[in-house]
Amino acid sequence: MNKSLDPRVNRLNIPTGELTPKVPLDQFGTFEVFVQIKEGKGYRHEGIVHAPNRDMAFLFAKEQFSRRLMCAGIFVVETRNVFVTAFTEDKDNIYNHISDTYPEDGEEEQYEIFHLEKRGKQHDHIGSVPAKNHQQALALAKPNFIDGDPIFNVWVVKTSDILFTNEEDMIMWNTLPEKKFRDASDYRAADKIKEFKERQA
Amino acid sequence: MSEIAIKELLYKIADDQLILGHRNSEWTGFGPLLEEDIAFSSMAQDKVGQSQAMYQLLHELGEAEPDTVAFMRNSDQFHNCQLAELPNGEYDFSLIRHFLFDFAYAIRFEMLSNSSYVPLAKLSKKIQGELRYHTMHANTWIKQLGSATEESISRLQNSLNEAMPYALGIFEPSPYEAELKSEGIFDGEEALKEKWLAKITEVINQTQLQLPDITTLEPKMGGRAGQHTEHLQPLLDEMAEVFRIDPTADW
Repeated sequence: MNKSLDPRVNRLNIPTGELTPKVPLDQFGTFEVFVQIKEGKGYRHEGIVHAPNRDMAFLFAKEQFSRRLMCAGIFVVETRNVFVTAFTEDKDNIYNHISDTYPEDGEEEQYEIFHLEKRGKQHDHIGSVPAKNHQQALALAKPNFIDGDPIFNVWVVKTSDILFTNEEDMIMWNTLPEKKFRDASDYRAADKIKEFKERQA
Repeated sequence: MSEIAIKELLYKIADDQLILGHRNSEWTGFGPLLEEDIAFSSMAQDKVGQSQAMYQLLHELGEAEPDTVAFMRNSDQFHNCQLAELPNGEYDFSLIRHFLFDFAYAIRFEMLSNSSYVPLAKLSKKIQGELRYHTMHANTWIKQLGSATEESISRLQNSLNEAMPYALGIFEPSPYEAELKSEGIFDGEEALKEKWLAKITEVINQTQLQLPDITTLEPKMGGRAGQHTEHLQPLLDEMAEVFRIDPTADW
Protein backbone atom coordinates (compact mmCIF):
# COMPACT_ATOMS: atom_id res chain seq x y z
CA MET A 1 0.00 0.00 0.00
CA ASN A 2 1.31 3.42 -0.91
CA LYS A 3 1.69 5.50 2.25
CA SER A 4 2.70 8.81 0.64
CA LEU A 5 1.58 12.00 2.37
CA ASP A 6 1.27 13.73 -0.99
CA PRO A 7 -2.41 13.52 -2.12
CA ARG A 8 -1.34 13.70 -5.78
CA VAL A 9 0.55 10.43 -5.35
CA ASN A 10 -2.36 8.75 -3.55
CA ARG A 11 -4.78 9.78 -6.32
CA LEU A 12 -2.72 7.82 -8.81
CA ASN A 13 -4.31 4.59 -7.49
CA ILE A 14 -1.15 2.59 -8.10
CA PRO A 15 -2.29 -1.07 -7.96
CA THR A 16 -0.74 -3.09 -5.13
CA GLY A 17 -2.54 -6.44 -5.32
CA GLU A 18 -3.48 -6.31 -1.59
CA LEU A 19 -7.03 -7.10 -0.45
CA THR A 20 -8.92 -4.44 1.49
CA PRO A 21 -12.45 -4.63 2.93
CA LYS A 22 -15.15 -3.02 0.82
CA VAL A 23 -16.06 0.32 2.38
CA PRO A 24 -19.76 0.56 3.27
CA LEU A 25 -21.66 3.66 2.19
CA ASP A 26 -21.36 6.33 4.88
CA GLN A 27 -25.10 6.84 5.37
CA PHE A 28 -28.03 5.91 7.58
CA GLY A 29 -30.71 3.41 6.59
CA THR A 30 -33.95 4.58 5.05
CA PHE A 31 -37.49 4.84 6.39
CA GLU A 32 -40.73 5.11 4.40
CA VAL A 33 -43.00 7.99 5.35
CA PHE A 34 -46.80 7.99 5.13
CA VAL A 35 -48.83 11.18 5.48
CA GLN A 36 -52.47 11.89 6.30
CA ILE A 37 -53.49 15.25 4.86
CA LYS A 38 -56.75 15.62 6.78
CA GLU A 39 -58.42 13.80 9.63
CA GLY A 40 -60.60 11.03 8.21
CA LYS A 41 -58.56 10.76 4.98
CA GLY A 42 -56.34 7.74 4.38
CA TYR A 43 -52.57 7.68 4.78
CA ARG A 44 -50.51 7.92 1.59
CA HIS A 45 -46.84 7.15 0.95
CA GLU A 46 -45.09 10.50 0.67
CA GLY A 47 -41.36 9.71 0.48
CA ILE A 48 -38.25 8.50 2.25
CA VAL A 49 -35.89 9.85 4.93
CA HIS A 50 -32.48 8.69 6.14
CA ALA A 51 -32.24 8.19 9.90
CA PRO A 52 -30.41 6.12 12.55
CA ASN A 53 -33.67 4.86 14.13
CA ARG A 54 -37.47 5.12 14.03
CA ASP A 55 -37.77 8.03 16.47
CA MET A 56 -35.29 10.14 14.52
CA ALA A 57 -36.99 9.11 11.26
CA PHE A 58 -40.28 10.43 12.60
CA LEU A 59 -38.63 13.74 13.60
CA PHE A 60 -37.16 14.21 10.16
CA ALA A 61 -40.29 13.06 8.32
CA LYS A 62 -42.46 15.59 10.12
CA GLU A 63 -40.56 18.58 8.75
CA GLN A 64 -39.65 17.09 5.33
CA PHE A 65 -43.25 16.34 4.49
CA SER A 66 -45.52 18.65 6.46
CA ARG A 67 -43.83 22.03 6.77
CA ARG A 68 -45.61 23.59 3.80
CA LEU A 69 -48.97 21.82 3.90
CA MET A 70 -51.63 21.08 6.42
CA CYS A 71 -51.11 17.64 7.87
CA ALA A 72 -53.11 15.56 10.35
CA GLY A 73 -50.74 12.66 10.94
CA ILE A 74 -47.55 10.87 9.90
CA PHE A 75 -46.24 7.37 10.40
CA VAL A 76 -42.87 5.84 9.50
CA VAL A 77 -41.58 2.32 8.89
CA GLU A 78 -38.09 1.10 8.16
CA THR A 79 -37.72 0.32 4.43
CA ARG A 80 -36.57 -3.27 5.04
CA ASN A 81 -39.86 -3.95 6.87
CA VAL A 82 -41.93 -3.12 3.80
CA PHE A 83 -42.70 -6.25 1.74
CA VAL A 84 -43.49 -5.57 -1.90
CA THR A 85 -45.02 -7.50 -4.81
CA ALA A 86 -43.93 -7.25 -8.45
CA PHE A 87 -45.48 -4.55 -10.68
CA THR A 88 -48.19 -5.15 -13.27
CA GLU A 89 -49.43 -2.94 -16.12
CA ASP A 90 -52.59 -2.02 -18.07
CA LYS A 91 -55.59 -4.16 -16.98
CA ASP A 92 -53.53 -6.77 -15.17
CA ASN A 93 -54.44 -6.90 -11.47
CA ILE A 94 -51.46 -7.99 -9.32
CA TYR A 95 -53.86 -10.10 -7.23
CA ASN A 96 -54.24 -12.38 -10.30
CA HIS A 97 -50.69 -13.48 -9.57
CA ILE A 98 -51.08 -14.02 -5.82
CA SER A 99 -51.35 -17.65 -4.72
CA ASP A 100 -54.24 -18.68 -2.46
CA THR A 101 -51.91 -20.89 -0.49
CA TYR A 102 -49.49 -19.42 2.00
CA PRO A 103 -47.04 -20.48 4.69
CA GLU A 104 -48.53 -21.09 8.14
CA ASP A 105 -45.55 -20.06 10.27
CA GLY A 106 -45.63 -17.16 12.74
CA GLU A 107 -47.91 -15.79 15.47
CA GLU A 108 -51.08 -14.03 14.41
CA GLU A 109 -50.85 -10.23 14.50
CA GLN A 110 -52.06 -7.26 12.49
CA TYR A 111 -50.72 -6.32 9.03
CA GLU A 112 -51.33 -3.17 6.97
CA ILE A 113 -52.02 -3.29 3.21
CA PHE A 114 -51.06 -0.52 0.74
CA HIS A 115 -52.13 -0.35 -2.92
CA LEU A 116 -50.74 1.35 -6.00
CA GLU A 117 -53.82 2.18 -8.06
CA LYS A 118 -52.12 4.32 -10.74
CA ARG A 119 -48.65 3.80 -12.17
CA GLY A 120 -46.42 6.72 -11.24
CA LYS A 121 -48.55 7.69 -8.22
CA GLN A 122 -48.08 6.88 -4.57
CA HIS A 123 -49.24 3.91 -2.51
CA ASP A 124 -52.39 4.39 -0.44
CA HIS A 125 -53.22 2.71 2.85
CA ILE A 126 -56.20 0.41 2.21
CA GLY A 127 -56.78 -1.39 5.50
CA SER A 128 -55.47 -3.98 7.90
CA VAL A 129 -55.81 -7.72 8.28
CA PRO A 130 -54.83 -10.19 11.03
CA ALA A 131 -52.38 -12.80 9.69
CA LYS A 132 -49.43 -14.96 10.70
CA ASN A 133 -46.97 -13.57 8.13
CA HIS A 134 -46.73 -11.07 5.27
CA GLN A 135 -47.56 -13.62 2.57
CA GLN A 136 -50.70 -14.74 4.39
CA ALA A 137 -51.82 -11.11 4.85
CA LEU A 138 -51.51 -10.62 1.09
CA ALA A 139 -53.45 -13.81 0.32
CA LEU A 140 -56.22 -12.81 2.77
CA ALA A 141 -56.54 -9.40 1.10
CA LYS A 142 -56.90 -10.96 -2.34
CA PRO A 143 -60.64 -11.92 -2.34
CA ASN A 144 -61.62 -8.29 -1.62
CA PHE A 145 -59.69 -6.81 -4.52
CA ILE A 146 -59.41 -9.47 -7.23
CA ASP A 147 -62.55 -8.30 -9.08
CA GLY A 148 -62.16 -4.53 -8.73
CA ASP A 149 -60.09 -1.98 -10.65
CA PRO A 150 -56.59 -3.25 -11.37
CA ILE A 151 -54.07 -2.89 -8.53
CA PHE A 152 -50.54 -2.61 -9.92
CA ASN A 153 -48.47 -3.18 -6.81
CA VAL A 154 -49.05 -4.06 -3.13
CA TRP A 155 -47.02 -3.31 0.00
CA VAL A 156 -47.53 -5.31 3.20
CA VAL A 157 -46.24 -4.04 6.57
CA LYS A 158 -46.54 -5.56 10.02
CA THR A 159 -48.41 -3.00 12.16
CA SER A 160 -45.94 -3.36 15.04
CA ASP A 161 -43.11 -2.27 12.70
CA ILE A 162 -44.76 1.15 12.26
CA LEU A 163 -44.12 4.17 14.49
CA PHE A 164 -47.35 6.14 14.93
CA THR A 165 -47.84 9.52 16.63
CA ASN A 166 -48.81 9.31 20.32
CA GLU A 167 -52.29 10.58 21.14
CA GLU A 168 -50.80 13.24 23.45
CA ASP A 169 -48.55 14.57 20.69
CA MET A 170 -51.44 15.07 18.24
CA ILE A 171 -51.46 18.79 19.12
CA MET A 172 -48.33 19.23 17.04
CA TRP A 173 -50.40 19.15 13.86
CA ASN A 174 -52.14 22.25 15.15
CA THR A 175 -49.81 24.94 13.77
CA LEU A 176 -50.02 28.59 12.74
CA PRO A 177 -52.06 28.38 9.50
CA GLU A 178 -50.07 31.10 7.72
CA LYS A 179 -47.36 29.11 5.92
CA LYS A 180 -47.29 30.91 2.58
CA PHE A 181 -44.20 32.89 3.58
CA ARG A 182 -42.33 29.59 3.20
CA ASP A 183 -42.98 29.52 -0.55
CA ALA A 184 -41.02 31.64 -3.02
CA SER A 185 -44.23 32.22 -5.03
CA ASP A 186 -45.71 34.25 -2.16
CA TYR A 187 -43.17 37.02 -2.80
CA ARG A 188 -44.31 37.50 -6.43
CA ALA A 189 -40.78 38.17 -7.58
CA ALA A 190 -41.60 37.90 -11.31
CA ASP A 191 -44.32 40.57 -11.05
CA LYS A 192 -41.97 42.88 -9.21
CA ILE A 193 -39.18 42.45 -11.74
CA LYS A 194 -41.63 43.15 -14.58
CA GLU A 195 -42.88 46.29 -12.84
CA PHE A 196 -39.30 47.42 -12.26
CA LYS A 197 -38.37 46.89 -15.92
CA GLU A 198 -41.44 48.83 -17.07
CA ARG A 199 -40.48 51.70 -14.80
CA GLN A 200 -36.97 51.68 -16.26
CA ALA A 201 -38.17 51.70 -19.88
CA MET B 1 -55.59 45.82 32.18
CA SER B 2 -52.03 47.07 32.51
CA GLU B 3 -51.00 47.79 28.93
CA ILE B 4 -47.40 48.60 29.77
CA ALA B 5 -47.00 45.25 31.53
CA ILE B 6 -48.51 43.38 28.56
CA LYS B 7 -46.22 45.19 26.12
CA GLU B 8 -43.15 44.34 28.17
CA LEU B 9 -44.21 40.68 28.17
CA LEU B 10 -44.94 40.61 24.42
CA TYR B 11 -41.70 42.35 23.50
CA LYS B 12 -39.48 39.92 25.35
CA ILE B 13 -41.27 36.89 23.90
CA ALA B 14 -41.21 38.30 20.36
CA ASP B 15 -37.56 39.34 20.57
CA ASP B 16 -36.54 35.95 21.99
CA GLN B 17 -38.25 34.15 19.11
CA LEU B 18 -36.91 36.47 16.43
CA ILE B 19 -33.29 36.45 17.60
CA LEU B 20 -33.06 32.71 18.23
CA GLY B 21 -35.01 32.03 15.03
CA HIS B 22 -32.48 34.07 13.10
CA ARG B 23 -29.53 32.45 14.88
CA ASN B 24 -30.81 28.94 14.23
CA SER B 25 -31.39 29.79 10.58
CA GLU B 26 -27.64 30.29 10.25
CA TRP B 27 -27.42 26.47 10.24
CA THR B 28 -29.29 26.29 6.93
CA GLY B 29 -27.01 24.50 4.50
CA PHE B 30 -24.59 23.43 7.25
CA GLY B 31 -26.70 20.96 9.27
CA PRO B 32 -25.19 17.58 10.19
CA LEU B 33 -27.38 15.74 7.65
CA LEU B 34 -29.82 16.87 5.01
CA GLU B 35 -32.98 15.86 6.87
CA GLU B 36 -31.81 17.53 10.07
CA ASP B 37 -30.77 20.64 8.18
CA ILE B 38 -34.32 20.95 6.86
CA ALA B 39 -35.93 20.20 10.23
CA PHE B 40 -33.77 22.70 12.13
CA SER B 41 -34.26 25.40 9.48
CA SER B 42 -37.99 24.79 9.46
CA MET B 43 -38.19 25.22 13.24
CA ALA B 44 -36.19 28.45 12.89
CA GLN B 45 -38.85 29.64 10.44
CA ASP B 46 -41.55 28.69 12.96
CA LYS B 47 -39.86 30.94 15.51
CA VAL B 48 -39.65 33.88 13.13
CA GLY B 49 -43.33 33.30 12.26
CA GLN B 50 -44.22 33.27 15.97
CA SER B 51 -42.33 36.53 16.55
CA GLN B 52 -44.18 38.09 13.63
CA ALA B 53 -47.52 37.14 15.22
CA MET B 54 -46.38 38.68 18.55
CA TYR B 55 -45.22 41.92 16.87
CA GLN B 56 -48.63 42.04 15.20
CA LEU B 57 -50.30 41.93 18.65
CA LEU B 58 -48.00 44.78 19.71
CA HIS B 59 -48.95 46.71 16.58
CA GLU B 60 -52.61 46.34 17.54
CA LEU B 61 -51.67 47.92 20.89
CA GLY B 62 -50.24 50.95 19.09
CA GLU B 63 -46.61 49.94 18.49
CA ALA B 64 -44.99 50.37 15.04
CA GLU B 65 -45.41 47.92 12.12
CA PRO B 66 -43.87 44.44 12.72
CA ASP B 67 -41.18 44.95 10.04
CA THR B 68 -40.17 48.31 11.50
CA VAL B 69 -39.98 46.90 15.02
CA ALA B 70 -38.00 43.87 13.88
CA PHE B 71 -35.52 45.61 11.58
CA MET B 72 -35.08 49.19 12.76
CA ARG B 73 -34.02 48.84 16.39
CA ASN B 74 -30.50 48.66 17.79
CA SER B 75 -29.29 46.07 20.29
CA ASP B 76 -29.99 48.20 23.39
CA GLN B 77 -33.66 48.33 22.34
CA PHE B 78 -34.00 44.54 22.18
CA HIS B 79 -35.46 42.58 25.12
CA ASN B 80 -34.33 39.06 24.27
CA CYS B 81 -32.42 37.02 26.82
CA GLN B 82 -28.68 36.76 26.16
CA LEU B 83 -29.00 32.99 25.61
CA ALA B 84 -30.77 33.67 22.29
CA GLU B 85 -28.05 35.90 20.84
CA LEU B 86 -24.97 33.77 21.61
CA PRO B 87 -23.19 32.47 18.49
CA ASN B 88 -24.15 28.99 17.30
CA GLY B 89 -20.84 27.37 18.18
CA GLU B 90 -20.84 23.71 17.18
CA TYR B 91 -23.96 21.60 16.83
CA ASP B 92 -23.75 20.39 20.44
CA PHE B 93 -24.17 23.95 21.73
CA SER B 94 -27.02 24.71 19.33
CA LEU B 95 -28.83 21.53 20.39
CA ILE B 96 -28.42 22.25 24.10
CA ARG B 97 -29.65 25.82 23.65
CA HIS B 98 -32.60 24.54 21.59
CA PHE B 99 -33.40 22.05 24.39
CA LEU B 100 -33.18 24.60 27.25
CA PHE B 101 -34.94 27.39 25.37
CA ASP B 102 -37.77 25.43 23.77
CA PHE B 103 -38.81 23.68 26.97
CA ALA B 104 -39.01 27.10 28.64
CA TYR B 105 -41.14 28.38 25.78
CA ALA B 106 -43.39 25.33 25.53
CA ILE B 107 -44.24 25.84 29.22
CA ARG B 108 -44.53 29.63 28.86
CA PHE B 109 -47.08 29.28 26.05
CA GLU B 110 -48.94 26.57 27.96
CA MET B 111 -49.25 29.01 30.90
CA LEU B 112 -50.21 31.88 28.59
CA SER B 113 -52.95 29.85 26.91
CA ASN B 114 -54.96 30.56 30.08
CA SER B 115 -54.08 34.26 30.13
CA SER B 116 -56.78 36.81 30.91
CA TYR B 117 -55.41 38.80 27.95
CA VAL B 118 -57.49 36.97 25.35
CA PRO B 119 -55.55 37.74 22.11
CA LEU B 120 -52.39 36.36 23.72
CA ALA B 121 -54.23 33.32 25.11
CA LYS B 122 -55.59 32.47 21.64
CA LEU B 123 -52.23 32.88 19.93
CA SER B 124 -50.47 30.84 22.62
CA LYS B 125 -52.88 27.95 22.05
CA LYS B 126 -51.99 27.95 18.36
CA ILE B 127 -48.24 28.15 19.02
CA GLN B 128 -48.30 25.24 21.49
CA GLY B 129 -48.64 22.77 18.64
CA GLU B 130 -45.46 23.99 16.95
CA LEU B 131 -43.61 24.00 20.27
CA ARG B 132 -44.66 20.40 20.92
CA TYR B 133 -42.69 19.34 17.88
CA HIS B 134 -39.74 21.54 18.86
CA THR B 135 -39.49 19.95 22.31
CA MET B 136 -39.94 16.46 20.86
CA HIS B 137 -37.09 17.22 18.47
CA ALA B 138 -34.84 18.51 21.27
CA ASN B 139 -35.77 15.61 23.53
CA THR B 140 -35.03 12.93 20.96
CA TRP B 141 -31.63 14.39 20.10
CA ILE B 142 -30.59 14.95 23.72
CA LYS B 143 -31.63 11.45 24.71
CA GLN B 144 -29.88 9.98 21.69
CA LEU B 145 -26.57 11.84 21.99
CA GLY B 146 -26.68 12.16 25.79
CA SER B 147 -26.16 8.39 26.10
CA ALA B 148 -24.29 7.57 22.89
CA THR B 149 -20.49 7.88 22.85
CA GLU B 150 -17.87 9.41 25.12
CA GLU B 151 -17.44 12.24 22.64
CA SER B 152 -21.14 13.03 22.25
CA ILE B 153 -21.72 12.94 26.02
CA SER B 154 -18.74 15.15 26.88
CA ARG B 155 -19.57 17.63 24.12
CA LEU B 156 -23.17 17.97 25.31
CA GLN B 157 -22.04 18.20 28.94
CA ASN B 158 -19.61 21.05 28.18
CA SER B 159 -22.27 22.91 26.24
CA LEU B 160 -24.80 22.36 29.02
CA ASN B 161 -22.38 23.81 31.59
CA GLU B 162 -21.70 26.77 29.34
CA ALA B 163 -25.34 27.48 28.46
CA MET B 164 -26.94 27.03 31.89
CA PRO B 165 -26.16 30.48 33.39
CA TYR B 166 -27.55 32.07 30.23
CA ALA B 167 -30.62 29.81 30.30
CA LEU B 168 -31.38 31.09 33.81
CA GLY B 169 -31.43 34.58 32.23
CA ILE B 170 -34.63 33.57 30.37
CA PHE B 171 -36.40 34.01 33.73
CA GLU B 172 -35.15 37.51 34.52
CA PRO B 173 -38.05 39.05 36.48
CA SER B 174 -40.14 41.73 34.82
CA PRO B 175 -40.68 45.09 36.60
CA TYR B 176 -44.39 44.22 36.26
CA GLU B 177 -44.47 40.72 37.80
CA ALA B 178 -47.03 41.78 40.42
CA GLU B 179 -49.47 43.34 37.91
CA LEU B 180 -49.14 40.41 35.50
CA LYS B 181 -49.98 37.96 38.28
CA SER B 182 -52.75 39.90 39.98
CA GLU B 183 -54.50 40.58 36.68
CA GLY B 184 -54.21 36.93 35.60
CA ILE B 185 -52.15 37.77 32.52
CA PHE B 186 -49.15 35.60 33.35
CA ASP B 187 -48.23 33.59 36.41
CA GLY B 188 -44.68 34.97 36.53
CA GLU B 189 -41.08 34.06 35.67
CA GLU B 190 -40.42 32.26 38.97
CA ALA B 191 -43.33 29.86 38.48
CA LEU B 192 -42.18 29.27 34.91
CA LYS B 193 -38.62 28.56 36.04
CA GLU B 194 -39.74 25.94 38.56
CA LYS B 195 -41.82 24.04 36.00
CA TRP B 196 -38.99 24.27 33.47
CA LEU B 197 -36.41 22.94 35.91
CA ALA B 198 -38.60 19.94 36.75
CA LYS B 199 -39.06 19.18 33.05
CA ILE B 200 -35.44 19.43 31.94
CA THR B 201 -34.29 17.48 35.02
CA GLU B 202 -36.64 14.67 33.99
CA VAL B 203 -35.09 14.50 30.50
CA ILE B 204 -31.47 14.93 31.63
CA ASN B 205 -31.95 12.11 34.18
CA GLN B 206 -32.67 9.73 31.29
CA THR B 207 -29.21 10.42 29.86
CA GLN B 208 -25.65 10.24 31.15
CA LEU B 209 -25.51 14.04 31.43
CA GLN B 210 -25.37 15.88 34.76
CA LEU B 211 -27.47 18.98 35.36
CA PRO B 212 -25.20 21.69 36.86
CA ASP B 213 -26.22 22.78 40.38
CA ILE B 214 -28.07 25.99 39.58
CA THR B 215 -27.79 27.37 43.11
CA THR B 216 -24.06 27.85 42.50
CA LEU B 217 -24.52 29.65 39.16
CA GLU B 218 -24.72 33.38 38.53
CA PRO B 219 -27.62 33.87 36.08
CA LYS B 220 -26.78 36.03 33.05
CA MET B 221 -29.40 38.76 33.43
CA GLY B 222 -29.82 42.12 31.74
CA GLY B 223 -31.11 41.08 28.32
CA ARG B 224 -34.69 42.06 29.17
CA ALA B 225 -33.47 45.61 29.91
CA GLY B 226 -31.44 45.94 26.72
CA GLN B 227 -28.05 44.86 28.09
CA HIS B 228 -26.52 42.46 25.61
CA THR B 229 -23.31 40.67 24.74
CA GLU B 230 -21.15 41.90 21.86
CA HIS B 231 -22.80 39.24 19.66
CA LEU B 232 -26.24 40.84 19.25
CA GLN B 233 -25.45 44.00 17.26
CA PRO B 234 -23.61 42.17 14.42
CA LEU B 235 -26.58 39.76 14.17
CA LEU B 236 -28.99 42.73 13.87
CA ASP B 237 -26.79 44.46 11.31
CA GLU B 238 -26.76 41.37 9.13
CA MET B 239 -30.46 40.58 9.59
CA ALA B 240 -31.55 44.11 8.67
CA GLU B 241 -28.91 44.81 6.01
CA VAL B 242 -31.22 44.44 3.02
CA PHE B 243 -34.28 45.96 4.70
CA ARG B 244 -32.37 49.13 5.62
CA ILE B 245 -31.25 49.78 2.02
CA ASP B 246 -34.84 50.79 1.28
CA PRO B 247 -37.24 50.56 4.26
CA THR B 248 -40.19 51.55 2.05
CA ALA B 249 -39.68 48.71 -0.46
CA ASP B 250 -42.58 46.33 -0.95
CA TRP B 251 -41.68 42.68 -0.22
